[in-house]
Amino acid sequence: MRIRTASIASAAALAAFLAAPGCERARYVETGSPEGIISVNDVDFQDILKASSGMLESLGQTGVLKTAKNKPAQLIIGDVVNDTSSRFDVGEVTYRMREQLVNSGQATVVTTFGTTPEDKQAQEVLRREKFLKGETVEPLPDPDFSLTGKITQVKRSAGGTKQATYTFRLTLTNLRTGLEAWTKTVDMTKLGNKNAVGF
Amino acid sequence: MTVPRIAARAVVTVASALFFGAVIVTGCGTVNTTSTRTGPADSAVEATTKVNNLLQQLFLTAKEVRMNRTKGGPMEVQVDVENNGFSYKTFAYRFDWVDAKGNVIESQTSVWKSTNVPSGGSTVIRSVAPDEEATDFRLQVRRADS
Repeated sequence: MRIRTASIASAAALAAFLAAPGCERARYVETGSPEGIISVNDVDFQDILKASSGMLESLGQTGVLKTAKNKPAQLIIGDVVNDTSSRFDVGEVTYRMREQLVNSGQATVVTTFGTTPEDKQAQEVLRREKFLKGETVEPLPDPDFSLTGKITQVKRSAGGTKQATYTFRLTLTNLRTGLEAWTKTVDMTKLGNKNAVGF
Repeated sequence: MTVPRIAARAVVTVASALFFGAVIVTGCGTVNTTSTRTGPADSAVEATTKVNNLLQQLFLTAKEVRMNRTKGGPMEVQVDVENNGFSYKTFAYRFDWVDAKGNVIESQTSVWKSTNVPSGGSTVIRSVAPDEEATDFRLQVRRADS
């Protein structure tokens, strides 16, 4: 009887040990799903996805890209400054936007523009073509808009509870007028005393 | 003191406790809402809901679903979500847009987002279609925390 009780206790202890959060086995989760890790003091991947989604929805809603001279609109992706203490590639925001805008035919991105082009090889090929044709004028694309932005944070705490608000802001400047054609901010506020899994 | 009188007093005590308990629970963070609209909006559309989580459905309800074409061209949907429960609710949602053939349009705007609704309050969740081909949407709601 005593042996049986000990066995049950051991089995229960083992089950509790396996069920403990510290023993959670690695598994795949849907990217950006609410099951992912939420960090109070960092920008999470879910935040990046939400930000680019909010920006794209606003662009579609306002129809600003349809006002461009070129069809589809030509964009230059400028600097997006990460002014937060969280380290991540800001290109994750703009690349997701580019993917949708370019692949759906709403805009094209000029990758051969300026002295620091995104694609130097393509710019060289353009120049070579111009040279072979005997054209002396520098082959310049004719972009309609430039996209720039900034990501900022405001952090506060009360006792052991921390709160961080991350603000993603993007601006589209009309390169023919020099005026701001569209701007959008997407905020994300997280509150807690430690990082958590899910929600 | 007779037995029926004791029983009656016990019933009154339990009822009072329940009443004051309910007042305390609903009083904390509860939202009262005033609206000038008493009927459905002109752009209100019918939507069907497949319920897999009865508790979630009881407390979080889609009060009205509106669809309009935006200035830019794509459709926009707005869903009024009400929290009829006694506590703050956190839930995640995702809109998928569907074209006229019924195919889901792959999009970077179709991501999980989370929001909160206080007890007795409501929120508007919205989505803009990725392009003008989208005609219908599908809304998924996950895990309402109590």
